[in-house]
Amino acid sequence: MKLLLDVKNIDVGYGFLQVLWKVSIAIDAGEYVCLVGPNGAGKTTTLKAIMGLLAPQKGDILFKGEPIAGLTGNKVCQKGIGYISEGANLFTGMTVRENLLMGAYTVNDRRKVKESLDFVFNLFPRLKEREKQLAGTMSGGERKMLAIARGMMAVPSLLLVDEPSLGLAPIITNDVFNALDVLRKKGVTLLLVEQNVVKALKVTDRGYILEKGKIVLQEKSQDLAKNDYVKKVFLGV
Amino acid sequence: MEHFHGLKAMLNQIYSTIRSAAGITIVLSIIIAILATIDKGTYIIVNTIVTGGMWALMAMGLALLFGVMNVANFAHGEFFMVGALTAYFIMDPLIKYAAVHPHALLVAFAPLIAVFGAIVTGSLLGVVCETTVFRPLRRRSREQWVMNVFILSLGVSVILTNGHQLLFGTAYKGIVKYLNLPAVSIFQTFISADRIFVFLLGIIAMSGFWAFMRFTRSGRAIRAVSQDEAGALMVGIDLNRIQILTLAVSCALASLAGACLLFMFPAYPTMGMAPLYNSWFVVIVVGMGNVGAAVIGGFIVALFQVLTTVYIGEGWGFVVPSALIILILVIKPSGIFGSPVRGVLEQ
Repeated sequence: MKLLLDVKNIDVGYGFLQVLWKVSIAIDAGEYVCLVGPNGAGKTTTLKAIMGLLAPQKGDILFKGEPIAGLTGNKVCQKGIGYISEGANLFTGMTVRENLLMGAYTVNDRRKVKESLDFVFNLFPRLKEREKQLAGTMSGGERKMLAIARGMMAVPSLLLVDEPSLGLAPIITNDVFNALDVLRKKGVTLLLVEQNVVKALKVTDRGYILEKGKIVLQEKSQDLAKNDYVKKVFLGV
Repeated sequence: MEHFHGLKAMLNQIYSTIRSAAGITIVLSIIIAILATIDKGTYIIVNTIVTGGMWALMAMGLALLFGVMNVANFAHGEFFMVGALTAYFIMDPLIKYAAVHPHALLVAFAPLIAVFGAIVTGSLLGVVCETTVFRPLRRRSREQWVMNVFILSLGVSVILTNGHQLLFGTAYKGIVKYLNLPAVSIFQTFISADRIFVFLLGIIAMSGFWAFMRFTRSGRAIRAVSQDEAGALMVGIDLNRIQILTLAVSCALASLAGACLLFMFPAYPTMGMAPLYNSWFVVIVVGMGNVGAAVIGGFIVALFQVLTTVYIGEGWGFVVPSALIILILVIKPSGIFGSPVRGVLEQ
């Protein structure tokens, strides 16, 4: 069976500063996979490389069997990968509604766009309330919600989510993870980068541990949760 | 009771807007314009509105380019020149043709053909600039971007200016008038048909531009790129295509202004200097990258130029705007209308 996403031994860096060494990640369609690790390990860099915001210096990335390493971000998006970045990258001068519509930029069917909009407003009623508000004037939590909602609009096959709970109140964090679950039921494959290791291992099927640019461990999430090394380094046990 | 509160809120909003630097500037300008008109005559308001509209268009193009792509285009005036030149080369033969065949259909549409030709030429030239000058720079290095692109655009300016001289000579290429229609009398003032024509074109262009940016997919994509480039990539926007489109629109606006004002300013190689300075005045005074305010700024700068020429003298035309800029940069460097939430059309 063909893997949905096959990241093969990529080396990624910023100029002469290498950040990732031979990172490999394999994800099947429908899986819920997490990528965890300490700060500065290179998790965001990995997601950026998959999304095409960075080009790997070595290695390949295959999506649905097609090579996508080195393609620009918009082409990767058109192939069916969505990215919800840590910094949200919202269009600050546009309203909530306009941001969401931009999220569906690649979708040509107006009915589908309307469906996505309704779906997203159902999931995040707070956003519906602030429909006409400028994104730049929203609070951090609301921006995160908007970023996630925008990433959902095009209903990608694979969604890369970077630290969705960072800076959010626990209640909103629950909303966010519930929303991701709903997406899963819709058939979206998820790659989650999370600082909250406990939460990440609880909800996902499999996990990769990234440390200093290298994958050091990859197991089923429930096994990782019981793993001594993981417990010592991340859970302080 | 609710309606009253709504009204009160709206009035409060208007009041606070007026009290801001932007509001004060607008109100002051309108008052000064009215006073000067009462003093010297209605041609002050007429000239301000006509030339102001054109400076507004040019400044919009410049602000757009800077806001979206961080390109400080010092060849912007040359696109004005290209527009004027193209319009001349279309109008001149058509005028001669009209002398022999005064009732031909072609003659009636001549001004529009000239303007349209100017827009097309301007945008194509802009696209050439993007693919041959700015894109290679972008690929090469993003360091010192603003400075580098500024220097390169100076080079483009030199090429276009000297190209004009080389190919078409230094003579003034002008037309007497666009439209063979009598002047119209409004409020006991005679306004030439050309001025009305240009004013209407300006309004149409500004509205069209606004509608394009607000309601079309491409327009929204341009705004998105100006607000967050990474975000734009993430939602699937093709940066290359947007960059070409932005250059095309920006240069089209400048060329449109040049073509429209051909009846006032004949074309010659270095004619672009004054429009260049004017559009940069506007953009700096209102705040770089703020396209919406560039419209208002265009009229304000035109007003001050007209006033300076009338009250102080022809040669002082640049002194007052320059002094204004120094004042603004010292007091409020982000510009009178400075953009708090970054975006090209917003605010």
